[in-house]
Amino acid sequence: MSKPVVKLLLTLSLLCIIPSFLFALTGDEVIQKMDEMATFETSVSTGSIKTTDRFGTKISTFKAWARGASDSLIEFTSTAERGQKILRTQSSLYLFYPDAEELIRLQGAALRQSVLGSDLSYEDMTEEKNTLDSYTVVLEGSEIVNGHDCHVLTLTAKKRTVAYPVQKIWVDKQTYLVWKAEYSTAQKRLLKVMEVISTVEVAGRTLPSETKIEDKMKRDSATWMTLDSLEVNVPLAANLFSLENLTW
Amino acid sequence: MTIKLPAVAFRNIFRNFRRSMLSAIAIAVSAMAIMALLALLEAMESDMATNLVSYYTGEVRIRHESFEQYERYNPLHLSLDMDEVLPLVEKQEGVRAATERINFPANLYLNGKNNAALGVGVDFASEEAFIDFPSLVKEGRLPTEGSNEMLIGALLARDLHLNLGDKVTVLTSTALRGSNAMTFQIVGIASFPVGGLNAKVLYVPLDRAQYLLRMEGQVQEILLLTEDGYKERDVAASVKELLQTELSLQTETKAWKDLNAMYSLLSIAKFIYYVMGAIFFLLGSTVIINTTMMVIYERMREIGTLGALGMQGKELTRLFLLEGSFISIIGSTLGTIAGLIIVFILSKVGLNFTEAMSGVDMEISSILYPQVNFFIALFVWVYAIIIASLSTLIPSRRASKIQIVEALRYV
Repeated sequence: MSKPVVKLLLTLSLLCIIPSFLFALTGDEVIQKMDEMATFETSVSTGSIKTTDRFGTKISTFKAWARGASDSLIEFTSTAERGQKILRTQSSLYLFYPDAEELIRLQGAALRQSVLGSDLSYEDMTEEKNTLDSYTVVLEGSEIVNGHDCHVLTLTAKKRTVAYPVQKIWVDKQTYLVWKAEYSTAQKRLLKVMEVISTVEVAGRTLPSETKIEDKMKRDSATWMTLDSLEVNVPLAANLFSLENLTW
Repeated sequence: MTIKLPAVAFRNIFRNFRRSMLSAIAIAVSAMAIMALLALLEAMESDMATNLVSYYTGEVRIRHESFEQYERYNPLHLSLDMDEVLPLVEKQEGVRAATERINFPANLYLNGKNNAALGVGVDFASEEAFIDFPSLVKEGRLPTEGSNEMLIGALLARDLHLNLGDKVTVLTSTALRGSNAMTFQIVGIASFPVGGLNAKVLYVPLDRAQYLLRMEGQVQEILLLTEDGYKERDVAASVKELLQTELSLQTETKAWKDLNAMYSLLSIAKFIYYVMGAIFFLLGSTVIINTTMMVIYERMREIGTLGALGMQGKELTRLFLLEGSFISIIGSTLGTIAGLIIVFILSKVGLNFTEAMSGVDMEISSILYPQVNFFIALFVWVYAIIIASLSTLIPSRRASKIQIVEALRYV
């Protein structure tokens, strides 16, 4: 092969390789995209939480409202807990019970308490979508999960106030949906496993419609959270996420 | 040789009166200590029995058959239908009274913090036979049915800085395995005899507990008291069978003595205390052994003379044994009388364990009143005499083995 031909081939090869380096996403960028895809200006959804444990199966239904990355309000509509509400604002989480004359504020370890005996914690139900504020991210590589090519990322907590000190998540390279997550202690003890069972397309984004969560601290227990309806970017009352509104 | 041994033995006591009294006092102190100890133990046992029956289990407790297996998960859904079960068991032969309760872990939400307590839903009317609530109320009154009112333990109220009229939100898990919270007003502060109840428990009307816990028409347990002359275990067995036959309901129906490990432990402890009592007496008896030995060596000349005059070895043993026994009788009589006086005084003023028992989760009252028990007194008196007398046998036998020739060398 002549020298000019070799030079040409080398140049072409470099031109092919360089863009993949130039355009490869960092871990932080993946997380940023992931949060963006999961966050809407506003949303209204209805759904159910099905929990199975040693005592049988229990189903609770809810209606939820969300605004941006931080504010969310969940109201339970099933008979056993009708009227109970969970309000998450940027700094706090409040519980409203119809027969209680005061709101109960949850903070710290209490956020890890189970919601209605399920495998979900209050933190899980209402988590903020500002992951990078709380975690440092390391992109570990790629893996196929349920036939989807995913980034594998390890998130380590920056502050002690988060529910899970370490998270390992599998984020879809195409849709930025988290297909699977493992939540652990700082000592790598597995606390919970989450996996998406089915998805739904909303406003051009892929979102989980059914998610299975298993609390590894409980034996024979699993929870399925299902979204029955989801509307996004709908107008919501300005005071919907206020304490005053919580008691109506 | 004819000699009145008891008279000689009795006279010998006064030959060295101070030493004899020292031996008697040692026995007396042992007898007094064991007398007081046994009276205290009796008081603890009977107090624990009363408290367990009144505040915890009744004489017979009925629960869902699987409740105990899952008790640590607070399985309130494993409950009993009170409208079905209660009328049936109330009519059962041997049942004097019945009541229903729901015990539930309660978090009292105060100033942004949860404070752990134990809630009990009770029917104050049917509780009359079990807990004398009106006499326990220190301030205020009993909660009324249908109202969000609570009666709270005095120590719990003090620790949480709660007063009559204050409102408290109670957060708990429900029978449907969800959570619920309800605000109650404190209408009564009660002083329970058991420290654990005072520091942890709040009582609310049964219907409000059922509403809070999503247990409409259901109760966690039904407690029974038995008629005089009926054994709790027999009543428990007949009630269990009745529920099985009439309602096809499998229950855990047990007599209170089979439910309370602590009570069984106390019975074992009682045996241990008896053994300890024996050791006390043996320790006291060492003084007698020592005294008798000293007496024997001191009275070698006399032993030699008595032997030379024809007294047999067995008679010598009996002489010293009688001497020891007389000292034991004097000592144990004095000790038992002193013990009776102490117990009598304590039965009036009581023994206050409030500070010592704080933080101890035991079903024993903070103030105990040991009762004078003449059976115990008689037992201790006889017990002390036997053990102390037997302990003189060793040195007494030594006296019988002394050679006359050797003893006469001391003449």
